[in-house]
Amino acid sequence: MIVLHEVCKQFMQGDEEAHALKKVSLEIKKGECVVLKGSSGSGKSTLLSLIAGLMQPSSGTISVEGKEISKLPESFSAQLRREKIGFIFQKFHLIPYLSALENVIAPLIPENLPVRILEEKAKIAMEQCGIAHKAKMRVNRLSGGEQQRVAIARALVNNPSIILADEPTANLDETLSRELIASLEALKHSGVTLLIATHDPLFFELPFVDRIIEIKNGEMIL
Amino acid sequence: MFFKPNFLLLDYAIRSLMRRFGKSFFIFFILSLLIFVLASVLMIADAIKLELNTTLKTLPQITLQRFIAGKQSDVPLERVEALLDIEGISAVTPRVWGYYYFKPAGVNFSIVGIDAYEEQYSATLSTLTQRFDIKLLEKENGMIIGEGVQKILSENYYTEFFNFITSEGKWQRVHIAGVFHSDLALESNDLIILPKKLAYAIFGMDKSKATDIIVKVANVKEIPTIVQKINERYPDMRAITQDDIRVSYQNIFDYKSGFFLALFSICAFAFFIIIYDKTSGLSSEEKKEIGILKAIGWSSDDILKEKFYESFTLSLSAFFVGITCSLFYVYALQASFLRNLFMGYSALKPSFALPFSVDVSMLILLFLLSVPIYIAATLIPAWRASTLDADEVMR
Ligand SMILES: Nc1ncnc2c1ncn2[C@@H]1O[C@H](COP(=O)(O)OP(=O)(O)OP(=O)(O)O)[C@@H](O)[C@H]1O
Ligand SMILES: [Mg+2]
Repeated sequence: MIVLHEVCKQFMQGDEEAHALKKVSLEIKKGECVVLKGSSGSGKSTLLSLIAGLMQPSSGTISVEGKEISKLPESFSAQLRREKIGFIFQKFHLIPYLSALENVIAPLIPENLPVRILEEKAKIAMEQCGIAHKAKMRVNRLSGGEQQRVAIARALVNNPSIILADEPTANLDETLSRELIASLEALKHSGVTLLIATHDPLFFELPFVDRIIEIKNGEMIL
Repeated sequence: MFFKPNFLLLDYAIRSLMRRFGKSFFIFFILSLLIFVLASVLMIADAIKLELNTTLKTLPQITLQRFIAGKQSDVPLERVEALLDIEGISAVTPRVWGYYYFKPAGVNFSIVGIDAYEEQYSATLSTLTQRFDIKLLEKENGMIIGEGVQKILSENYYTEFFNFITSEGKWQRVHIAGVFHSDLALESNDLIILPKKLAYAIFGMDKSKATDIIVKVANVKEIPTIVQKINERYPDMRAITQDDIRVSYQNIFDYKSGFFLALFSICAFAFFIIIYDKTSGLSSEEKKEIGILKAIGWSSDDILKEKFYESFTLSLSAFFVGITCSLFYVYALQASFLRNLFMGYSALKPSFALPFSVDVSMLILLFLLSVPIYIAATLIPAWRASTLDADEVMR
């Protein structure tokens, strides 16, 4: 379902080229749950961004649900993100001056559906993440853990078939982390493909995780 | 992509304007002020021009005044016949007019004497003579007064007649035979029209003289030659032509236009500062928001649409507010202040209403110079940010 073929990504850091990813090839099947581990700066976030089409690989190909995302016109890759992918960002990337509910609705706005329907969808996602009681609060007034749950609700709101999660438990305490893991497990059982980048050892012994991949200095260790 | 309105997106756009309330309001304010000032100036100029043109058309072609020792003085009536001998002059009318000071209200009325057998020199007068029986006025010592005069007189309990005090100190009783409503704003409503013999009596004027003389010519192109001939024959007469009046109005206009150019430049300058500030780029906060929206599935189109809604709402509402304010200011408030700048305090009779004249092409021009430019200035940097990799702007 997600196929990467010899993907390289370089960044310009000053005058030098930094290789964030080196010839990464990977295949994740539909409904599979994959954990991506690696030390800081190893390229985990970069890999997730590439899969979501948030940036283009320097070389190699990436296809998601049979479509080569790096070759899609911009509006189609946006549509793919909106309809198929839920992205939980490492730094949350919430829109600070909007309420929790408005943040969760935001991905759906371009679909031009009645507000009622969108609010309904958002409420379901927020209940799933246990953050519905803070719906009216501005997100910059929420705690780190609450913000993270809003970010997760936003990723779930469009019922994605793929979830890309970048350090989803980084700001949660153990209880909340276990709750999150439980909801990820539920998603896995409902057939969603999961790719989770994390340092958190909690993820390394979970029964529903199919594979753990390690990445080091931009290279996959098999 | 702009066809189907997305109200949620519009709502989002308005909220994001509200969020940056200070900045949005400042831009809104400058934009409306700019449109207000420009529209007002253009409307006033238009209205005054319209008014002047109407007035000029009703003005006599040549007015002859006599000056003795630099002061205006009455003209002997035998000159009327003599003037008719000059080639090219088709009609000569002696006028008897002046001001009457009405002490109780502290105002001046303009008194114009008319003669039933004379050709009337102004359009207003000739309509009046058609509407009222002048011969009857003469027989019954009657007068026709403007609405303003009627108002002042009735406030002082003169509803049927008025007793003028002549220059000899006698009372001259004149009854009010009619009231006219002047359609012409400049032909102010402080006017009293009565038979010439009454005017002579009230002013205490020599019956063999007139206040001034109106000359009509057969061919307008001949006016300069005719004026020259008159000057040769009567060196004490000064001729004022329609052109002279037009030129003096024009001078006032031209003199003022420097001021308006300055005003315009300031507005334009403020506008371009805003435009420059807009196009020079987005704040990192705005860029980040664009990045996030892209990352969660908005396309560049959606982002541009949102920015379009934002800038369209802001600039269109500023446009309407500006235009509404200037309509109100120019026509309801009669453009107090700016109007004086335009005309000077004494250049024209002070009391006339600006005639309503809205130049649609002017409105369209103003619209095109403000709304689309502002929208473009908003869309260009947003477009630049939205084509960058989402990942990059989110960092
Ligand atoms: N836009 C960018 N410009 C320059 N360098 C970048 C950019 N994005 C990532 N990098 C570099 O690429 C490397 C991989 O970064 P990445 O964020 O993918 O690491 P990570 O595994 O997610 O680390 P962490 O666990 O700290 O989140 C780092 O060295 C980083 O500095
Ligand atoms: Mg990372």
